[in-house]
Amino acid sequence: MFQTTIRPDQELSAIDPKLAWSAWEATNQEPWDARRVRHLMRRGGFGANPSEIKQLVDAGPAKAIDSLLGKSKSQSLDAFEQESAQIGSAVLAGSSIDSIAAWWLHRMLHSPSPLVEKMTLFWHGHFATGADKVNDTELMVQQNKLLRDHALGDFRQMVHAVSKDPAMLLYLDSASNRKTHPNENYARELMELFCLGEGNYTEHDVQQLARCFSGWEIRRKSFRFNPYQHDSGLKKLLGQEGIESGEEAIDAVLAHRSMPTFISGKLVRFFVFDEPNPTAEFLEPLADVFRRSNFTIEPLVRTILSSKLMLSDWSIGKKVRSPIDFVVEWMRNLQMTTNLDRLAKGLEGIGQALFNPPNVKGWDGGRAWINSSTLIGRSNLIVDLLREPATRFGRTDLDAWVKSERLTSQSQWLEWLETSLLSVPLNASDKERLQSVVASSDVGLDARRKLLVALSQNPKFHLS
Amino acid sequence: MKRRSFGQLGLGTCAGLAIGSAQPGGWLQVLASELAQQEDRHSDSERILVVVQLSGGNDGLNTVVPYRDELYAKSRPKLGIPSSDVIKLDDQLGLHPSLRSLEDRCSANRFTIVQGVGYPVPNRSHFESMDIWHSCHAKKDRTQSGWLGRWISEQDSNPSTDSTAIHLGSEPLPLACQERGVQVPSLSSLEQMRLKSKVIDAQGLEMKSEKVASSEGSGSLLDFVSTSTVAALQVSERLEKILAQPDASGDFPKTAIGEKLRAVSRLILSGVKTRVYYVTLDGFDTHANQPGVHATLLRQWSEALSAFLSRLEQSGQQDRVLVMTFSEFGRRVSENASQGTDHGAAAPMFLAGPRLPKIIQGPNPDLSDLDDGDLKYKIDFRSVYAAVLDSWLGTDSRKALDGDYRAEAQRLELFS
Repeated sequence: MFQTTIRPDQELSAIDPKLAWSAWEATNQEPWDARRVRHLMRRGGFGANPSEIKQLVDAGPAKAIDSLLGKSKSQSLDAFEQESAQIGSAVLAGSSIDSIAAWWLHRMLHSPSPLVEKMTLFWHGHFATGADKVNDTELMVQQNKLLRDHALGDFRQMVHAVSKDPAMLLYLDSASNRKTHPNENYARELMELFCLGEGNYTEHDVQQLARCFSGWEIRRKSFRFNPYQHDSGLKKLLGQEGIESGEEAIDAVLAHRSMPTFISGKLVRFFVFDEPNPTAEFLEPLADVFRRSNFTIEPLVRTILSSKLMLSDWSIGKKVRSPIDFVVEWMRNLQMTTNLDRLAKGLEGIGQALFNPPNVKGWDGGRAWINSSTLIGRSNLIVDLLREPATRFGRTDLDAWVKSERLTSQSQWLEWLETSLLSVPLNASDKERLQSVVASSDVGLDARRKLLVALSQNPKFHLS
Repeated sequence: MKRRSFGQLGLGTCAGLAIGSAQPGGWLQVLASELAQQEDRHSDSERILVVVQLSGGNDGLNTVVPYRDELYAKSRPKLGIPSSDVIKLDDQLGLHPSLRSLEDRCSANRFTIVQGVGYPVPNRSHFESMDIWHSCHAKKDRTQSGWLGRWISEQDSNPSTDSTAIHLGSEPLPLACQERGVQVPSLSSLEQMRLKSKVIDAQGLEMKSEKVASSEGSGSLLDFVSTSTVAALQVSERLEKILAQPDASGDFPKTAIGEKLRAVSRLILSGVKTRVYYVTLDGFDTHANQPGVHATLLRQWSEALSAFLSRLEQSGQQDRVLVMTFSEFGRRVSENASQGTDHGAAAPMFLAGPRLPKIIQGPNPDLSDLDDGDLKYKIDFRSVYAAVLDSWLGTDSRKALDGDYRAEAQRLELFS
């Protein structure tokens, strides 16, 4: 008999790939309820507040994904874009990286299409470019817009656009690529990190691809082709002969059979689970979706988000929260606003500086988010946010907000925090421990805030 | 993992106090007096290893310059360091002029250059090559464990609460320090480890007293986060005490690597029982505009190293701390047209600290015999690791390296 469900304790290797990526349907054991809505909104966006969750339980999974994309919210989208543009022009004038990080955080916190922001973040980690080296905030913002515009569009167009993006050209030294002895930096990373994965090309391919990119320069902050520095000889790349230009070379890289699997794998790890690394065979149904859509990203992401694997209990708690997920979801749930420049700095302290990923490979994610420093740092960041004078909850203070939400007793408050912020439920000993923390004295915080801080120090808080 | 028998220490359920071996059970059964007694038994003379990783691929040829080699001058028309600028070590080799602060260490026989270090079938991807150096394995035989992680798992539980190894830096924990069941704390700085809310104390004590292994069993994400939380609390509490003491670390350059080595010296001088420290300095991927960038990075590395060694000398600890520096690969022999160099292969490693028999170990690079434009390796990095593990740390290297490199290591004669 064919297996039709995925058990929560099943090993990945025992799950049929076709089943995993087929569309999820509600069952008696796994209904479309608030818990599942929260799971989807957490992974595909940055969480949702109680009224949004109620609406989406009634609407069903397909509509929930539409809502992550901001479909049928055109009015609020326009208003949001206007507000974001105003903040954007103000921060650009200051040209500090913390301020543009704050501008992006504002988008993540308030965008009516959170999946677009989440995908922009994904591509920022994928086509990782560091502001410290580029040293030009305007170019970083320009790249951020490029990634957002293409975030769910044609992947091949995005790769072509990124290859001519000034911030990228500066970051990977393409801007100084001359024909006499071309520099291999961009050529290598295009294949290793952006399109194919290590092991799918040779050192010879790297050298040939570098020749194709010779003469790709920047003039007045824009891409320019300099025919005098271009090596116009014919090159053989990835088994294809007769390649001359950089554009032809990018097409040859994109046509490699490992590309759809490589991109699907990275998306699965971003949205569904951290471990173990899925095999090519397991990813094949997704690679097939990607190929059949002519490498349009939205159908692939929709297939992943609406899949049996994604929406079954199996994937709940299977990811470590990134610093951004951790903070933004917390803030969206509590309708919290704060000093975003400080928040951007705080995120840097726990391992996720927007616009400054650690290197060209981006953030490793998973277990790499967690260590002694980041755990202490996460706790300290929550305390800082609670003590920050600019912090508001639903435009008022925490105590008034809690009253308006009718969460006045400690047990109501704990229950609300648990359901809205945790993917893995607390057990009896967790709860006992939290109660004892609240009862303890001398911590400089009142009981309500103490509970919030204590919860954020529970290991379960770091899982998504 | 080798575990002390329970009777030996009279600790009841578990001797795993060490964060390094992540055995959080049995905490509250340990009496303070017992703890103090065990710490006494451990002498302060144990040897320490500090690993410095130069990330991005350090240009070995412009670090230890074959200034008399015509092929060097030919391959590096713009980037070559002229013989008049190098700090001459002998009639063939000289140090990059930014390494002035290491000159005295060389003449005092407290610095060794190991030439031509690499491994078979060099990989020119940063990430793959780094993983090879960390895991000691090519991709196909690799697990998520590193040589130091495996070494830690083999050590007797450290009788103090100090972890066996500490990583200082805000990047993720290096693969070299990873191994299932092993917790190596990553500290972005000592000060950053202060908890702002004491809430965690009460909760933390509770946590330490219970088995944190989750229902999903060991190895799950939740289990990992739980043991990491316990480790973080322990380190935070220990550092709280150390930070309460006056800082005797002295003058260090105000650079990131200077701050990291300052922190390491502070921990060593405070009597912390950690045996391995791991720090990194990034930025060596000099595809373009190499001269200024490389000079700055070499200066940062050598000045921080020099300040660190001086501090140890002042307190008479210079003979028990070895600093080992490596990079994931060297760079292409020929420069590119962007005044930079692309990814290469073999390159030198560096040892510093105690008295060492020779300044230069291993044959000088042969620029007339290249592999696709790159230097061929003459010494396998794993034999250098083996020498460090066997002869310096005094432990058997075979399990840590997943192989026997002892014979090669002995031939190197890195330690007297």
